[in-house]
Amino acid sequence: MAMKYLHKYPKKFRGTGGIRPILRVLRTMIKTTIHRPVTILYPYEKEWIPDNYRGRPGLRFDRCIGCGICMRACPTTCITMVEAEDDDGKIVKRPQVNVGRCMMCGYCAEYCPVDAMTTTPDYELAEFTRKDMIYDPRRLAYEGTTEMMEVHLEEHLQSNLDKGIEDKPTAFFDTDRPVLDNDLCIGCSKCAKVCPTSAIEMVVVGQNAKGKDIKRPKLDSTKCVCCENCVIDCPKDALKIEEVL
Amino acid sequence: MGYDSILNWVTFDNPVNNAFYPFEVYNVPYDIGAKLWELLGGTIAWLINLLIPGNGLSTWLVSDAVVNAFAIILMVVVIFAVGFIVNLTMIWQERKVMGRGMDRRGTKIGPLGYLQCLGDGLKTFMKENVVPKSIDKKIYWWALALIIGTAVLAACMIPLSDRWFIMDYHAGILMVYALFALAPFFILGASWAQNNKYSMMAGFRAAELMISYEIPMLILMTAVILQTGSFNINSIVNAQSEMWFMVPQIIGFFTFFVCAVAESERSPFDLAEAESELVEGWQTEYAGMKWGLIMLGDYFRGYVCCGLIVILYMGGWLLPFGYGGTAVPELVFLAKIFAVFFFFIMARLAIPRVRIDQILNVGWKVLMPLSVINLLLVVVMQTGGLI
Amino acid sequence: MSELSRTGYQTDKMWVTMGPQHPFSHGLWTLRIKVDGEYILDAEPEVGYLHRGWEKECENRTYAKIIPMADRLCYSASMTWSHLYCKVAEEALDIELPERAQYLRVIADEICRIQSHLMWLAALGTDLGNLTIFLWCLREREFFLDLNVRLCGQRLTTNYPRIGGVRNDMPYYFERDCMRVVDRFENSLWDIINLTDESSVFVSRLKGISYLTKKQVANLGITGPAMRGCGVDYDVRRDDPYAAYDKLDFEVPVLKDGDAYARYRVRVEEMFQSCEIIRQAFNALQKIPKTAPYRLKVSKNIPAGTHMAHIEDPRGDALMYLVSDGSGSPYRLKVRSPVFVNVSASKAMLDGCRIADIPAVMAMIDMCLGETDR
Repeated sequence: MAMKYLHKYPKKFRGTGGIRPILRVLRTMIKTTIHRPVTILYPYEKEWIPDNYRGRPGLRFDRCIGCGICMRACPTTCITMVEAEDDDGKIVKRPQVNVGRCMMCGYCAEYCPVDAMTTTPDYELAEFTRKDMIYDPRRLAYEGTTEMMEVHLEEHLQSNLDKGIEDKPTAFFDTDRPVLDNDLCIGCSKCAKVCPTSAIEMVVVGQNAKGKDIKRPKLDSTKCVCCENCVIDCPKDALKIEEVL
Repeated sequence: MGYDSILNWVTFDNPVNNAFYPFEVYNVPYDIGAKLWELLGGTIAWLINLLIPGNGLSTWLVSDAVVNAFAIILMVVVIFAVGFIVNLTMIWQERKVMGRGMDRRGTKIGPLGYLQCLGDGLKTFMKENVVPKSIDKKIYWWALALIIGTAVLAACMIPLSDRWFIMDYHAGILMVYALFALAPFFILGASWAQNNKYSMMAGFRAAELMISYEIPMLILMTAVILQTGSFNINSIVNAQSEMWFMVPQIIGFFTFFVCAVAESERSPFDLAEAESELVEGWQTEYAGMKWGLIMLGDYFRGYVCCGLIVILYMGGWLLPFGYGGTAVPELVFLAKIFAVFFFFIMARLAIPRVRIDQILNVGWKVLMPLSVINLLLVVVMQTGGLI
Repeated sequence: MSELSRTGYQTDKMWVTMGPQHPFSHGLWTLRIKVDGEYILDAEPEVGYLHRGWEKECENRTYAKIIPMADRLCYSASMTWSHLYCKVAEEALDIELPERAQYLRVIADEICRIQSHLMWLAALGTDLGNLTIFLWCLREREFFLDLNVRLCGQRLTTNYPRIGGVRNDMPYYFERDCMRVVDRFENSLWDIINLTDESSVFVSRLKGISYLTKKQVANLGITGPAMRGCGVDYDVRRDDPYAAYDKLDFEVPVLKDGDAYARYRVRVEEMFQSCEIIRQAFNALQKIPKTAPYRLKVSKNIPAGTHMAHIEDPRGDALMYLVSDGSGSPYRLKVRSPVFVNVSASKAMLDGCRIADIPAVMAMIDMCLGETDR
C-alpha cells in the first residue's frame, strides 16, 4: 500500500493561477449542457429507494398479536398500545405510532416477533397539524410489504458458536423465556390474563391449608414470544426473564 | 395646426429634423423617445383638441421644443430599461452557467429559468424594511442611494453603438470611469454609518481593494488612449476597426480583465462581502429591498466592467478583422459583453476567494508593473510606427 | 504576530463576536476574537448552545436504546459514534465479534469516514468562497449516502452497529454498488483536486497559516487529521486496532509541515486510503461464507464495572467511558469528543492569523456541534 495523493501533490508548478480549474469547470459545464446534470427535480422526479429503507413504521394488522414489544423497544416512546377493532369486531390491542416523534430507527420492525411491524419506504410525512402525525393502527398499514421491510432478527448464540454451529440464527423471542420463582408467586393469574399469546395457563398444583386451590402459571414454550408482559405485570416480581446466551 | 385626424399630430418625422435636436448624429434612443412622445403627446393633444378645438396647448404639446424635452426624458428611460434587461439577462446567464458548471440545473422558473431573477427581485421588495437603531441615518441612506445611483449612471453612460448613447462627448471614457471609481467612498461611508464591526472591516477592505486596483486600470486605459489619441469612446472603437487593441496590448488586456473582476467586487475578489468571515460584508445591515438594489447595482458595475473591456480592447460594436459595422451594432456589442461576462463567471466558478494581503500583493507587485510595461510597449510601438 | 511588534501602529484592539449565527461556524458556537486591524491577537471559543444532556439522558435508557441516540452525536459521522458505543458495551460484556460483523463494521465506518471528509471538503470550499467545490463534493457524498441507504436503510442516522454485531447482513447488491461508487469516487476526487491543489489561489489560502508544533499538539490534546498534519504519527486504527483493522493493510498519512495545508492534505489522502480499505474488506468478506454469523445474542444487562473504548473518528480520537452497575441501563456514560478538545485549541491555531484565515483554520477542525456539546 502506498500513498496515492501525497505522492503526486503538492506539485511544484501549479499551472498559471486558475487556468487548470477553469478548464476543468468548463469541461463539466459543456458536459452537463449536452447531457444533463446529476441532480433530480425532487417533487417531480424521485430517486429509487431500496426496500430496506427505514421510513415510517408500517403495521400488518392481522399478523399483530398486540404483545407490546415494539412499544417497549421504541427509544422515543412514540408507540402506544391502543384498543382497536379487528375484522371480526373484537377489541384488540394494537400499536399506535406518533410519527412526529418517531426517529425511524426501525427497532419496532426489528424486534417484532411475528413480523407484523415493518419499516416502509414512506418518507413524505408532512402534515398540517401535530394530531395528524399520530398514525392509528389502521393507518399504519402499508401496501406491498416485501421481505426486506420485515427486518428479521438473526442473532447467534455464543454457546452455539463455541460448539461450531454457525447456521442456526435465533432471536430472543425464540430462546428467552420467563421463569417462575415459586416462593414469591401468589397465584393471582394476572400473568395469564396479560399474555397476548395465551401461552400461560394457570394450573392447580395443590391445595393450601384452607382447602383452596393453589394455582401456578404453566408456560407453553412454543407459544411464548418473550414479550415480558407477565414479568412487568407480576405484582410480586415472581417472574423473571431467563436469557439464553 | 388644425384638427382633421390624430395623424395630424403623429407624423413620425425624422428626429434629426427637429430644430432642437441635441446630437450631431442619428440617435436611436432619442428617436424611440421622440416617436413615443409623438404617440403619447399626440394622443393627449388630440383629446384636448376634441374638447376645446383650436386651443394653443395642443399645438404646443407637439411643437419641436416640447417633443425634444420629452424625447430626452424618454430616451433616458429607454436606455435604462435596456440596461436593466441586459442586467437581468446577465444575472440569468450567471445563474444558469454556474448551475451547469456545478452539475446542477440553475434557475427553473419561466422560459429557461429567465423569470427567476425577476421573481427574486420582486421578493426583496416585499421584505420588511429593517433599519437598525443606532446608525448614522443620513449617511446610511445617502451612501446607499449614491452607490446604486453611480452604478446605474455609469452603466447608462456606456454606449451600445455609435447611434445608441446618452451623449457623444469628448471625455467619454473618463466620465464613465470617474462615475465607476466613485464607489469606494460611498462604500466606506455606508460601512461606517452602519455601526457594525463586520461592515466596517469590509468597508475598509473594499476601499483598500478598489483604490489599489483603480490605479493599474487607469494606467491601462492611458495606454489605449495613447494609441487612439482620443478620450472619445466612438474614436476608440473606430480605431479598432482593423485590429482589436487586444492584439498589440495582450498584456494590458489580461491585466485589465483581472482588475475589472476585482473592481466589480466579484468572486474571486469579493472580499468586501466575504460571507464566510464577514457575514455579508459592508451590506450586513442593509436588509430587504436595499440589499436587492445593492445586488442589482453590483451587476450594473459588472456590466460597466464588461463594457469597458469590450470598448477598450475588443473593438466595441465592430466586427473583427475589418468587417466593420452591422445593421444592428448594438447586438454585436451586447454579445461581446455576454462573452466577457462568461469568463467572469468562469473565474467565479473555479477560483476561491483571495485573501486581502494576497490581493494587494498581486495588485501592487504584479498588475501595477504589468500595466506600466504595457504602457511602455505601446509608447515604443507608437513611436516606432508599428501600430 | 505578537502584540508587542504591532504596538507601533497604535490601532484600537477590538473584540469581535463571531457566532452563534455566523456563516463560518458550522453549527451553533461562538468564536470571540480580539483583532488588531486584520490580525488576530486572541481567540476564545464558546460552545454549549446545543447541549442536549446526552450523557444524562443515556442513564435512563436501556443499552439497546442508546445506539440510535449515539447516531445523533454527530450528523456526518454517525456510524463511528454508534460503533464506538457498541464497542464499549462489547468490552463490558467481554465478547468477541463474529468476523463478518467486524468487516461489515469496517466497511460502514470507512463509508462514513469518506462522506464525513467530503462534507468537510465541501464546507472548506464554501468557507474559501468557492461553491463549485461544495457542490461537487456533495454530489459525491450523495453516492455514499445512497450506499448507507442500501446497507442499513437510512442516509445519515444509520443505526447500523448493534451490541454484538451489526443490524443486518449486507444485501446481495451492496458489494457491486459499493465497488462502483468507490471506483467512481476516486476519479471524481481527482477532479475535485483539480479545483483545489491545482489552483494556486486555494493553496495559498491554506499554506503557511496556523502552524502548530508537535509539542503544542501534545499539550492541547489535538487528535485526528489535525494532529497527523503536525507530524504526530498516531492512528487508533493502526496503533490500537479494533474491528478488523489489524487484518487490513493501509497507510496512515502523516505530514511534518504543521500548517493548515498539511491538515488538508492528510484528510484528502485519508479518503483515498479509505477507498482502499473498503476494497480490501470486500476481498476478505468474499472468503467468509455468506451464511456466517454477523450478530451475537447478548445479555440485556451489563455486568458492573468501568470500561473504556476509543476509535478513530473522522475528526479525531473518540472515546467513551462506561460505568455500569449491573442493571439494564448505564450508570454513567462519558463521551470524549475530539472536536471539543480541538476547538479549545483555537487560540493557538489562530495565533498570528488574519480574519480571512479564520474560516480556513477552523474548517480544519471540521466542527460538529452535536458531539461537542452533547
